[in-house]
Amino acid sequence: MIEIKGLAKKFVVENVKKLSEQEKQDPRLKGRFFHSVEDVSFHCEQGQVLGLLGPNGAGKTTTLRMLSTAIKPTAGSVSINGVDILAEPLVARRKIGFLSGSTGLYGRLTGRENIEYFGRLHGVSEAELKQRINELADLLDMHSFLDRRSESFSTGMKQKTSIARAVIHQPEVVILDEPTTGLDIMATQTVLDFIRRLKTQGTPVIFSTHHLDEVDELCDKVTVIDKGRTCFDGSLLDFKGLSSGSMHESFLTTIKGAE
Amino acid sequence: MWLVFKKELLELLRDRKTLFFMIALPLLLFPLIFGAFGFFASKAVKEAETKVLKYAIVGGEYAKGLSDSLAAASDKFELVEVGADADFKQLIRDESIDFALKVPSNYDQPLLEGGQATLVLVLNDAGLNMVQSRVKELVDSQVENKRRQAFDALALNDFQQTGLLKPVVIEKEDVADSRENWGEKIGGFLPYILFLLCLQGAMYPATDMGAGEKERGTLETLLISPTERHKLVLGKFLTIAFAGVTCALMTILSMAVWGIVLSQGMAIKVVGEFMSAISALDFVLMFLMLAPIAAIFAALLLSLSIYARSFKEAQSYMGSLIMVAILPIVMAMMPGVDLKGGWAWVPITNVALAIKELIKGTMDYVSLFAIFGSTVMIAGALIAFCVYWFNQEKVLFR
Repeated sequence: MIEIKGLAKKFVVENVKKLSEQEKQDPRLKGRFFHSVEDVSFHCEQGQVLGLLGPNGAGKTTTLRMLSTAIKPTAGSVSINGVDILAEPLVARRKIGFLSGSTGLYGRLTGRENIEYFGRLHGVSEAELKQRINELADLLDMHSFLDRRSESFSTGMKQKTSIARAVIHQPEVVILDEPTTGLDIMATQTVLDFIRRLKTQGTPVIFSTHHLDEVDELCDKVTVIDKGRTCFDGSLLDFKGLSSGSMHESFLTTIKGAE
Repeated sequence: MWLVFKKELLELLRDRKTLFFMIALPLLLFPLIFGAFGFFASKAVKEAETKVLKYAIVGGEYAKGLSDSLAAASDKFELVEVGADADFKQLIRDESIDFALKVPSNYDQPLLEGGQATLVLVLNDAGLNMVQSRVKELVDSQVENKRRQAFDALALNDFQQTGLLKPVVIEKEDVADSRENWGEKIGGFLPYILFLLCLQGAMYPATDMGAGEKERGTLETLLISPTERHKLVLGKFLTIAFAGVTCALMTILSMAVWGIVLSQGMAIKVVGEFMSAISALDFVLMFLMLAPIAAIFAALLLSLSIYARSFKEAQSYMGSLIMVAILPIVMAMMPGVDLKGGWAWVPITNVALAIKELIKGTMDYVSLFAIFGSTVMIAGALIAFCVYWFNQEKVLFR
């Protein structure tokens, strides 16, 4: 399981004058610092899928980047199955699989080479690597294009390769940052099927999205972030219970409640 | 680290554009340029030598011998009759004649009576032509005659004649051997191309490995792989430096090989002698000097590249870097700049100067150590900065 407590992140603002009017009025701007994330807490158990919701600029991506150890939080703690990822980022990275909607591939490498490269960086042995890629190619139906250069891939092929790349080291937690943004219907379906599969395997998944139907379809838990703070953290049923059944209304209620 | 290096190299090798600039261009372009230059130059010279020159002559009656020998060489000169008051400038511009001769009245008089004669040669001397040398060839025999006449009239013996013609002769004894001579000539130029090619060759892969990763969205995934940041940086850094050195060496090698091939015959001996005068140790030292320079460039390029938000931004930063880098290199080519003064302390310039000294064979090996050491230290500091830079969130997620 993964547990996040009191996570916060502030960025230095180089030049306050350059910010837009809207950004200047954001209560998170305090002096020279912009407190992108102020207080985010949630946890996700084994086999659960957690949907991270929030308006644009709420701090979702920053939160997920902190979970993936790409950036260091200013305060708070993150632990995966008891390992503090802030104290031991290298150990933690082996436990995390990360994928975002804007993730790319090395165009001049084949699909297989892309996956192999990250597998090796994660310390997967050659024999295991071969076997894992075979399994994943079966699972995601990738055999037809696996050995072609990825620059010629369609969006769907790219997304399948990215998925395989993200889970090649059999992570204990999978984090997805808007994984379906910008994808066509088929590619989106690939991602959703993949999340479902992880769920049946018992791997916790945290993903941020703007599509409430995806949340309704897949999630056990919902966390809503607004202006860098958790304003809802509970089960999908509780979230739906906030209004008379409409997910959109529930979402708006949590945001309003925060204000 | 080697994992990153291997992958980056594989990616680089698969990129036709880079390969073209790194390998094909120096291998094919230089011989092509040299070959074409040599071909057209020799063709032009031959044409100037064999072309039939049209001429006009004023006062031809004062120079019987000259007029006759001009008329006799009809395969080389062709007389054009013009009026006494003709405008030679206009005629030459119209290409009616190639040159005109104005003969003074004292031309055929014995030297002791007539004194010095001034033969005026009117021509358009811009561009390649051999008019003067070809006319001189004819005039020379008459000059010889005039001298002999004068000497006979004065009754001078051979000993006196030689002395009179050249009262004092300066004989030069050059203590510089041919290596030092040639070294001075090409020694300044070699580091210049070496360094620039190194920078050029490293530039594209550097852009690709920093800004390129950001643009393609692969950087974030790479950063969260369980590999220490310095290993990622070193892997990338090595690839860039390797590409730079390869590009520089390929070009030099191709220039050397094609230079020898094209300058067959007499020149090959000179080149061969020159090359064999430089010891293998000097070659190794030159390469060793290039390595920290490549490292400095690679670290700078990688830092710039990772700071840039996009490929385009990275390229504009690197354009400015070339302008900055070219300065110390050009400094080393300036006359009067050598390792003796304060120039030994200017980074990059000192290495260029040291390479020049190595080629000349006049290197003081003790100061070589100092230069090498300080350059390695600068390179090390820049690599350390690069690693630090790669750990900055504000750089990676701009």
